[in-house]
Amino acid sequence: MSAESEDVPLYAERPEWSDVVPVPQYQGVDALAPINYSAEYQDATDYFRGIIRMGETSPRVLKLTRDIINMNPAHYSAWQYRYKTLIAIGADLTEELRQMDDFALTNMKTYQVWHHRRLLLTALRSRDAAAGELAFTARVLAADAKNYHTWSYRQWLLAHFNDEERLWAGERAWVEDLLEKDVRNNSAWHHRFFVVWSSGVREGDEDREAVGRRELAFAKEKIALAPNNPSAWNYLRGVLEHTKTPLSALTTFVQLYTVSSPSIAPEVMDLDNPVPTEGAQLPCVNALEFQADIYEQEGGTQITKAVEIWKSLANEYDTMRKKYWEYRIKEGLQTTHT
Amino acid sequence: MSASTSTLLIPLHAKYVQSLGESKDDLMYHLTAHLRMNAIYWGLTALCTMNHKDALNREEMIEFVMSCWDDEAGGGFGAHPDHDAHIHSTLSAIQILIMQDALDRVDVDRVVKFILSLQQPSGVFAGDQWGEIDTRFLYCAVNALSLLGRLHELDVEKTVGYVRQCRNFDGGFGAVAGAESHAAMVFVCTATLAILDRLDEIDQEMLGWWLAERQVPSGGLNGRPEKLEDVCYSFWVLSAMAILKKVPWIDSDKLIAFILSAQDTDHGGIADRPGNQADVFHTHFGIAGLSLLGYPGLADLDPVYCMPARVIERMGLRKGWEGLPRKAS
Repeated sequence: MSAESEDVPLYAERPEWSDVVPVPQYQGVDALAPINYSAEYQDATDYFRGIIRMGETSPRVLKLTRDIINMNPAHYSAWQYRYKTLIAIGADLTEELRQMDDFALTNMKTYQVWHHRRLLLTALRSRDAAAGELAFTARVLAADAKNYHTWSYRQWLLAHFNDEERLWAGERAWVEDLLEKDVRNNSAWHHRFFVVWSSGVREGDEDREAVGRRELAFAKEKIALAPNNPSAWNYLRGVLEHTKTPLSALTTFVQLYTVSSPSIAPEVMDLDNPVPTEGAQLPCVNALEFQADIYEQEGGTQITKAVEIWKSLANEYDTMRKKYWEYRIKEGLQTTHT
Repeated sequence: MSASTSTLLIPLHAKYVQSLGESKDDLMYHLTAHLRMNAIYWGLTALCTMNHKDALNREEMIEFVMSCWDDEAGGGFGAHPDHDAHIHSTLSAIQILIMQDALDRVDVDRVVKFILSLQQPSGVFAGDQWGEIDTRFLYCAVNALSLLGRLHELDVEKTVGYVRQCRNFDGGFGAVAGAESHAAMVFVCTATLAILDRLDEIDQEMLGWWLAERQVPSGGLNGRPEKLEDVCYSFWVLSAMAILKKVPWIDSDKLIAFILSAQDTDHGGIADRPGNQADVFHTHFGIAGLSLLGYPGLADLDPVYCMPARVIERMGLRKGWEGLPRKAS
């Protein structure tokens, strides 16, 4: 407990709480040992159980539940009762959000923090509030760019309020900025796919073919920066799959990444096929896998080439998953023979 | 150090689990009251996997479970006496009672009613009356209904429909529709589909590869690309792989060495990664992972229900999963 909490009297010592009968914690069948943990926590939760028994919803309940949540952010009954109380007394929910901002920042890994906000936003039914929450989650993600609950909450906000101009419009540029900072952030790659492909068509994105080209170019550019980044390769494959483009459309690009040192004519700048950044570790496993998949799809005699690549993955470049590559070799050879 | 973590210290871990209930004057014990029922389930399952089931007192455990019954909520279990019923603690309670052969203590009709009341129009389940939703709670519901022999009361199409919505372009599954793929959510979705005999919903090869890619150079597994490895993923990733019969795709020796290296060789227990503080959650999931990897001296753990395979087989619920063959020594 912090030093300042010593100056605060227990609920049991406060006259304004004297009408509540504290209910002690059930101590279990084998509770022979005396309970001897934090007096503040015990005191507050005893009064909380007392309040629940009375069914009281009032401003002082907000204070009590806040105290408990501060001591134990995962106390879901306290959260639940706090929300019930806020609604019952017609509290200012926007004010509640603001009051919980710092708390959410320091306890961002607690699921309840985000569920509470989601309930508040659902009750508020306000696009202003939703826009404010986008800004707030951006602040949280700036502190921890992979926080799962925060990302899910942001995706919920976008889908639930579904406002093109106020919410969706800035989303792609924002997530691009995150990828600028960390090109290996899988959460950001996922979010990009969510925004561009799996939650409707954004304004200005009506020409899907152009969008497909833009996204392939984007992924290729990011792969060039950091070739051994499975998130970018997954995105690339996701776009191909979604737009029903054959893998072989990327043969020229992929081949730059399947050799130890690509032979590049320096005078030719091929924008469609950005070259690996200098010093990158090549060949790259994801590219080899991609190239083998192209050969396998082409079938016939190309299978031999695929098998060669799988062998190199099994024995040299990705030995940890040797059994997987051996499985691919077996499957590939079976297909040719049938 | 290297010599002492080269084998699983079974008696020490059994003692560690046994000692957990003895530190009730510790503040942490109370701050984690909302996970107490789950913690008992983790401890008991770990002990069963190590063939030390009797290390915890059966009668006391059953009494504790029954003291968490929440009559007001209509028929579920809370994580602790006086806590509101929650689907996660309800599943743990049922799993404990089945492992202890004491399911007759429960009013099954009311539990089923409580569970079914939590299904939302979208098909997902809420954890409790407060309304948090995600695929973990959906799995808890499907697992519990199956264990209670009441799966026929579930709207299977609606349930599978929600799981389908959580599938992502990388072949994995997220916690809610639209959310990023995550190994724990891949496990709950895969196990749900296994229980419902709907594994055809999965691109098994693609998902198997995504799971195999979770192994990092240390031998450990992570939950998402570019995240740190953690012992608990030894279960989330491996169980999904076992259900898809793909466990051989990763390097099992390296993973075994990683799990063993996270043991606390002084006090027992397993941590999230080497050098960190052990806890019952990681102890259970580390041992569960070792069981699926065929580690010698352990009992088979069913990856679909996360319970002793013997118990699940006796109930006639076994699905077609495959771990690695049990090693002799």
